[in-house]
Amino acid sequence: MSTQHAPHKTTTAAAHKSPLAGVRIADFTIHAAGPFCTHVLSQLGAECIKIESKTRPDAFRKPHAVYGRMAAATFDQVSANKLSVRLNLKSAEGVALAKRLVAVSDIAAESFRPGVMKRLGLGFDDLLLGKPDLVMLSLSSCGQSGPDSHFAGYAPLFGAWGGLGWMSGYTDGPPVEMRHVMDHSAGMHAATALMAALHQRRRTGRPQHVDLAAREVASAMIGDALVQASLGAEPARPGNGDLAMAPHGVYATAGVDRWLTVAVRNDAEWQALARVLNQPAAAADERFASASQRWHQRQALDVLMADWLADCDADAMAQRLQQAGVCAHVSWNMQDIADDAHLLARGALTQVSSADIPARLAVGAPARFSRSEGVGIRRLTPTLGQDEDYVFGELLGLGAAERADLEQREVIL
Amino acid sequence: MLLNDASPVPDLPLSGCLVIEHASSVAAAYAGRQLAAMGATVVMLEPAAGSPLRRAPPLLEGSGESALFTYLALGKRSVVCDLEIPAGRELLQRELAQADIFIDDTPVHERNALGLEPAALAAAFPALVHVSVLPFGSNGPKAGWRAEEVNLLHAGGEGFLLPNGLSNELFPERAPLKIYGHFAGYQGGCAAALAGLSAWWAVPDTGGQYVDVSVQDAVLAVGAFALQRLGDGSLEHRTTRRFRYGGVFEARDGFIELLTLEDRQWGALVRLLGEPGWADDPALGDPLERSRRGDEINRHVRAWMARHDVEDIVRRAQELGVPAARYRTPADVLGGAHEGARGLFVPVALADGRTAQVLLAPFQFSSTPLQRPSAVPSLGEMGRAANAEETIS
Repeated sequence: MSTQHAPHKTTTAAAHKSPLAGVRIADFTIHAAGPFCTHVLSQLGAECIKIESKTRPDAFRKPHAVYGRMAAATFDQVSANKLSVRLNLKSAEGVALAKRLVAVSDIAAESFRPGVMKRLGLGFDDLLLGKPDLVMLSLSSCGQSGPDSHFAGYAPLFGAWGGLGWMSGYTDGPPVEMRHVMDHSAGMHAATALMAALHQRRRTGRPQHVDLAAREVASAMIGDALVQASLGAEPARPGNGDLAMAPHGVYATAGVDRWLTVAVRNDAEWQALARVLNQPAAAADERFASASQRWHQRQALDVLMADWLADCDADAMAQRLQQAGVCAHVSWNMQDIADDAHLLARGALTQVSSADIPARLAVGAPARFSRSEGVGIRRLTPTLGQDEDYVFGELLGLGAAERADLEQREVIL
Repeated sequence: MLLNDASPVPDLPLSGCLVIEHASSVAAAYAGRQLAAMGATVVMLEPAAGSPLRRAPPLLEGSGESALFTYLALGKRSVVCDLEIPAGRELLQRELAQADIFIDDTPVHERNALGLEPAALAAAFPALVHVSVLPFGSNGPKAGWRAEEVNLLHAGGEGFLLPNGLSNELFPERAPLKIYGHFAGYQGGCAAALAGLSAWWAVPDTGGQYVDVSVQDAVLAVGAFALQRLGDGSLEHRTTRRFRYGGVFEARDGFIELLTLEDRQWGALVRLLGEPGWADDPALGDPLERSRRGDEINRHVRAWMARHDVEDIVRRAQELGVPAARYRTPADVLGGAHEGARGLFVPVALADGRTAQVLLAPFQFSSTPLQRPSAVPSLGEMGRAANAEETIS
């Protein structure tokens, strides 16, 4: 597939058949979590209008030295599919235009610190005046209420606050910081909550304000450990181990930095593993006869597995184990993923390109739908203000002279 | 109508939505769990022996109840429905006739015998949203592959990239590390809930349909940034995917995450550290230079952290505008004043009489607050045993 910077009308035509065709989002989100939320909804067919300004452009339009990126990104996954307009939200007229934009949208999404939207005059109550059945998302580090609600943070802090960071790590090591998957998981949960709120609006005609705290998503990832802790237990950090399965882990193979993940769930899979690895003595060993026995011998099994797999080809072994019915997969880097026929066949990976973007891979459809079409990436990263003819002109009915005047007075900036 | 004991419920986001869940994986169960939290009636179809998730670790000391199942089943209903016998398959048909969304994680090759073949269900229930949740999805060359969490986190690319930062520096030779618990499964479940609700949204125009969700796809989706980096020419690796400075620090009495991404935060960090002489170097005013000298900066920060207590550091950091957080244990989270104020946990009665605290949902709905269920369903509590013909009315 080749995705071009398509004119808007082409986008709309393609989106008519997608599940969320006809849903419009006024997108004020910044950073990673919020933009992922609206991006995934746009992949499902929503029309997402990204609101920025020249003075406060999205992070991808700037260098990001901490991540080692010394220039603007040419392709930004979470901006793909989105329309871009410029609005100066520090100007009263800019805020008024933002309200008009929300009034013709179904969803308003934001991820500022709690209180910022209200200070701008764009709080939920303000926006309801122009859109009485608005569905709004406020996504933040710690939520809109509670004593820590003013704390700012990033993905590693969400993981630290929420307990997921503490529970992840080598058993004898420090906690581990979560990265973008934490942001994006928060975004996906937010998208799910927004969909539920849309259904509620369809059913009742009433508005809804979704409050998502990213740190609570991190806590949701340790829901089982929290249940344990509430009864006085102190759940340990299991590392790569499992609480029931053995062998279970990530094992070195013949290739440099080529690791094989294996999980043996039951006796049949244990016997199959032993057969594939040509270890008849282990298969017959009474110490390993049941799942419970194997788990109690997990350290001994890990030593054996390390020995048995040390000289194998990880990819070939994963195939052989799968054919024998054993859960196994190579620890894949992104090049492995980019080369994978399965992900490409599913559309989970999709090739995109445009006049100024050489062909590259992006994450495609979040699911496959048997009847809805048009799910996935339909256009690439917008240039700043690229869609103002459609948004300001067609949706808001601003004439050319009026827009020129707003631009001259830096309301459109 | 099997839900004849349903009573009027307050208006919730998914009030009136009936979900049938046939799940033995965390991913599928988490999808149902989210829908239940938002007000859907979610009925688990369980075999006579109960869902395998009822026996999944971690188990609670004393009772042996599954902490995982307690978390995943909160607010759901349970019906015994053995799909290996005709009566069970008939019950499935009656349940689906009422349902809006069906969540199933049966492996593809087992579906036909159990009456779960998508085309047949689509023909019988044209308005039904049928969400399939499998490790690698139900379509594609690896649809038949088996996987558990550890396999999927690595199949989706994130496993290879962990741990980064301090753990990797301390143990550079060790195997890459999974995230705690079922992170991959939860992403798959969340994607399934999202896709299911999206397909349900489209029912008036499109009718029902089959939705194929893959846990591997979901892990890749949330890890999209690494694929983007590949497109930019960088193959990320756990040894190099680290913040140039900042990260995990060991303070005198615990661990801290500290991260300064913006210029103003650097100045605040210098103030937090007491404006030490080494930070006076004018060259460090340049963010690119700071990135180049990240190891040097981290050495200084580590030495300072080791002399101070977590609480003092975090309080002062937040005052100054330095993003910093304590690495909190599960007990810390449970006892957190913030979580308490937000009502994150609900008390839930366990079968052995104890009361556990269970996380309700990682989102709130201000206009219509979520219900706060207080029980985990016992097996077949809806009283519709399907594996005995005479019990079916």
